[in-house]
Amino acid sequence: MMFNGAAKYGPKEFDRLLESRGGSSNAYTSNDVTAYYEDFASDALETVLDLEADRMRSLAVTPETLEQERQVVKEERRLRTENSVFGLMEEQLEALVFLAHPYRWPVIGWMDDIERITRDDCLEFFRTYYAPGNAAIYAVGDLDPDATIALLERFYGDIPARPPPGPVAQGEPLQRGERRAAVRYPSQAAALLAGWRGPPARSPDSAALDVLQTALAVGESSRLRRRLVEEEELAVSVNVSWGWRIDPGVFLIFAELAPDGTPGDVERALWEEIDRVATAPLPAAELRRAKRLLRSSVLHELATHNGVAHALGQAEVLLGDWREAGRALELYAAVTPRDVRRAAEAWLDPARRCVVTLEPEASR
Amino acid sequence: VRRADGVIALPPLQEARLPNGASVVVARRPGVPLAAVRLLVEAGASLDPRDGHGMANLVAQAARRGTARRTGKEIDDHVESLGSELGAGADEDASYFGLSAPAEFLKDLLDVVVDVATSPTFPIREWERIRRREVAGLAHVLDEPGAVADRAMIQTAYRGHPYGHPTDGRAAHLRRLRRSDAVAFHRRWFGPAATTLVVVGAVDPDAVLAMATRSLGRWKADAPRAPLPPAPPAVERSVLVVDKPDVTQTQVRIAAPALARATPEYFPALVANAVFGGGFTSRLMEAVRVNRGLSYGVRSRFAMSRATGIFFVSSFTKLESTAELVEVILDEARRFCDAGPGEDELSRAQSYLAGLFPLSLETHDQVAEKLADVRLYGIPLEDVSRYREKVRAVTVEQCRELARRHFPLDRGVIVAVGPARHIARSLERFGPVSVIPARKVI
Repeated sequence: MMFNGAAKYGPKEFDRLLESRGGSSNAYTSNDVTAYYEDFASDALETVLDLEADRMRSLAVTPETLEQERQVVKEERRLRTENSVFGLMEEQLEALVFLAHPYRWPVIGWMDDIERITRDDCLEFFRTYYAPGNAAIYAVGDLDPDATIALLERFYGDIPARPPPGPVAQGEPLQRGERRAAVRYPSQAAALLAGWRGPPARSPDSAALDVLQTALAVGESSRLRRRLVEEEELAVSVNVSWGWRIDPGVFLIFAELAPDGTPGDVERALWEEIDRVATAPLPAAELRRAKRLLRSSVLHELATHNGVAHALGQAEVLLGDWREAGRALELYAAVTPRDVRRAAEAWLDPARRCVVTLEPEASR
Repeated sequence: VRRADGVIALPPLQEARLPNGASVVVARRPGVPLAAVRLLVEAGASLDPRDGHGMANLVAQAARRGTARRTGKEIDDHVESLGSELGAGADEDASYFGLSAPAEFLKDLLDVVVDVATSPTFPIREWERIRRREVAGLAHVLDEPGAVADRAMIQTAYRGHPYGHPTDGRAAHLRRLRRSDAVAFHRRWFGPAATTLVVVGAVDPDAVLAMATRSLGRWKADAPRAPLPPAPPAVERSVLVVDKPDVTQTQVRIAAPALARATPEYFPALVANAVFGGGFTSRLMEAVRVNRGLSYGVRSRFAMSRATGIFFVSSFTKLESTAELVEVILDEARRFCDAGPGEDELSRAQSYLAGLFPLSLETHDQVAEKLADVRLYGIPLEDVSRYREKVRAVTVEQCRELARRHFPLDRGVIVAVGPARHIARSLERFGPVSVIPARKVI
């Protein structure tokens, strides 16, 4: 709804004005934040702030635009979840990993919820969370800092403060044993998605888990790719992601099997490899390799204005201070083999594992 | 770097043609301490044998699995221990090898890139394994309706043309390919005269030229430059339904043969497309998403290759609105061809393209890719440096004229991936419908 008009700039005007000034905009919602971002030639800064402040101050949610946007979001859900093997599996996994925390709900929502959301629901959400005190702005590039701050004060200064939103419900119970779900779908081959509830991003273990993720599945010589894809040919691909979140993140392993592959073999190999990293420290060469790959990836992110702005925002939201973005390299450099082993042991316990298997079935 | 006159100042280029015919382009750029290395050989999937679709891509994938000096494992261990990842693959026009190197390890990493491109040995076990992996990977492509639609579109819009198959090939073809085919393909088409090496980043250009001369300059192979594929055959209006019985959303593509990248009409095509189906305010986005809520996304694009190209529209919608989506897209195309863009739309699209262009030159990798494209397509460097004024010079009449010739109104194929029993009938009003099972596109 944030692109469908506010008091000063009506429906369709946001992107028209922005594009006419040589800019583009987009947005995404994660489990923790919604981010709006613009890329533009720097002489359009004033226009961008005017547009952004307008919608924070006075978003219009009309019944017509809400209905139209509801259809659009349903198409997005059909695209990314209902007709996507990974989307179907991921939705199941999050609901296994979290019993109580709102992270168990898909970010895009269940189809029925998308259907039932009312205009009042939207407005209440907007009033609660799109308040100035709950937002932060990052501007990076060919800008004069003082002039930029002055512009920000001019455009945002008069938007009234609102009470801070309440805390997100916690109370996730201890997991006492493996949880499993199966997704039956007419796919060509089986797949496996495993996940563990990890620490919140602020935990010192977060950086160690990034190192572990890199050692396990970044590059052809990573442990899981070499064993599962190259040596034993059990899988066509293996990916690992460790997603930093405000509350507990999820450490994920996704393996696509060969059409004649056996899920049991893949699981055995995976659990053995997880056990290895949880019992013996990474050899020095593997640790150095992982740190160098992470350094390259940080440098890549910092190579664009968008990447820098994004890194600052993520650091603020996840770690409580945008300055933490500048510490990523030293954080990784400080990780020891013992840290990685300890993090693997602490978070990748077999008894706290959640597993979703994709079981191919005949077309209906 | 942005200048007041709108000219994009590219970093100074050092270019050399080595005595064996290989081209080297080096650009020093300030910024992060990385260097983008991109080696391209003008041998792509358009050279795949008639019954060996996927050959060029497989050769590129298998080339990194062993050279005269290193095994595949040694290559991976070495490259990744230096904080880099080697990429290899092919598109319809060329094969590519590349990586992003921490500047301090450039010498070692450049050597590996040149080694895999010029001296692969295709060890038999690795060749067989990569082939099995590619075949298995294609099975998963069948589970992605969007990817199935893209493949079907290429096959029908370029029917019978060397561009008319996906670069990752077909399972039945890949199963037939032998190691000796790969050796022969590499020997026939890979040579210095067809090779360009581009290095961009925090580097000393003289030192890079010296490195390139030592490694690439040693390569002796007399592969000729490949001939350009012919013009594509004309395509009549037809509808192809690719049957995927279980999906709840139809993926739609509408495509027709259009322009090669080196066309003098490149900028009119770019601007007309931006108005019609480019950004968030395009005609298509407004008609399909904003006004009717038919889809989450819709876009059009000129996909331009060396010899020719296609113009296509892609979108997706719930099953029951499949025909409506096609109707709206064709109506919008007709409207655009009749009147062209309005002055305000034209000027907005021009500002949009000009304003965002510097963002496509922000990283070393992006600059390296643009420089490699300039070589591959034989286009003037001014297409990059004077991009903004060329965009601004496009007129309403040029856009309309271009659309009349290249937008897929009465000709062009309509591809719809979805359950045939729900969608095929509704598409009959657009042309003769044929139905194939999804596995036929793999």
